Amino acid sequence: MSDFWPCTQPESPSRAALVVIDMQVDFCAPGGWVDQLGEDVSNTRSVIPAVAEALKIARGAGLAVYHTREGHKLDLSDLPANKQWRTRVHGLGIGDEGTAGRILVRGEPGFEIVPEVAALPGETVIDKPGKSSFHATDFDERLKAEGITHLIVIGVTSDCCVQSTFRDGFERGYECVILEDCTAAVETPNHEATMEILKAFGGRWGTVSDLAGFRAAVEALHA
Amino acid sequence: MLKRFASIDATPYSWPFDGRWSADDSALLVLGFQSGMIVALEAQPELAVAARLVSAAQAAGLPVIASRRGRAETLSPVAGRRAAMGAEMGDPLFPPHTPEWELAGALDLPADAPIFDHPGDNAFYSTGLEAWLRQRGIRNLVLAGLPTEGLLHATQRAANDMGFECIAVSDACKGTTDARHAGQLRITAFGNGLFGTVATADQLIAALNVP
Repeated sequence: MSDFWPCTQPESPSRAALVVIDMQVDFCAPGGWVDQLGEDVSNTRSVIPAVAEALKIARGAGLAVYHTREGHKLDLSDLPANKQWRTRVHGLGIGDEGTAGRILVRGEPGFEIVPEVAALPGETVIDKPGKSSFHATDFDERLKAEGITHLIVIGVTSDCCVQSTFRDGFERGYECVILEDCTAAVETPNHEATMEILKAFGGRWGTVSDLAGFRAAVEALHA
Repeated sequence: MLKRFASIDATPYSWPFDGRWSADDSALLVLGFQSGMIVALEAQPELAVAARLVSAAQAAGLPVIASRRGRAETLSPVAGRRAAMGAEMGDPLFPPHTPEWELAGALDLPADAPIFDHPGDNAFYSTGLEAWLRQRGIRNLVLAGLPTEGLLHATQRAANDMGFECIAVSDACKGTTDARHAGQLRITAFGNGLFGTVATADQLIAALNVP
């Protein structure tokens, strides 16, 4: 019995979905928001090859693939006042004009997924205003309509949107797995603390594995 | 017009962000102070601090809301797996209506305090908590809970996405280890308050004790 899945393996590959969180220019590319703030994007950039590899495995095995993008409507009507205020303290807040367009606003260059891991035609992209992919989106309805029972969650950042989606997936009854070599945080100690918390007690909300574990689990589905 | 409370010198910013909080628009959430969890985490000191907060909030006219984890009728298989991990896992689930599941009497909740029962760690998921808060115009939340990286943080994450302005009370929550407690609160405050702010009970109580 594999220890990759929290309980049982999915009935078929199409019941499992790879969920790639927020691999956007604003979070993980030079010229994006985090970079414009003068913060280091080397951690979030470093997982791009691993995320690309996970996508290759999922696409090759017939898993569903979902991408998410964090951002707000052009009129910012879905942006809480405190969220905007907190980011503006940095000098460049959500909705402000930056060098890659308005920060975290839908349709802007910074909002797009980096080309290395962009969505292919037929893959679903969920645009979300919050950290959790389930907050104020139709993600849950889409997963249920597609018969998805298992989620493999990767992308950025581990301490923020990846963790929120993983926890909320658990609440809703999905078997959730994080691949720890396919996710990162801006600050390494926060990534490490997140992984330790998620792994504790064998994984309270789901399991933590890696790319090699994912490959083996997918091969077992086809065996 | 209710009197505004003083802002709190929280980590990482003066809370609330716009300086507006009163008994009219703020509430105290006391999450998962259940008898079995207090024993499992040896959280008697945190329970005593939470009880002081409850008393101060009540005196100041702030609504106090409690939550309990464990609602068997909604246990999914994946939650069932967790229940099967048992008490030795350090963050145990207790069967509903057992003595371990009950809230600690020492909290001394107001008689009219609403109690929300939730299946997992997030007190908002599949409960009426958000509606209860919105109906009363509440926008600021003071949070205490067990464990820090469980109920407290899961609920604060959800509240934050909903736009509530949150403050976690660091000595009225406890993690399954000190490192997890500290790590989760550091992530809370990261990036000028990714999930809100953190302060001590003494800071909150001083602000609530308006003469």
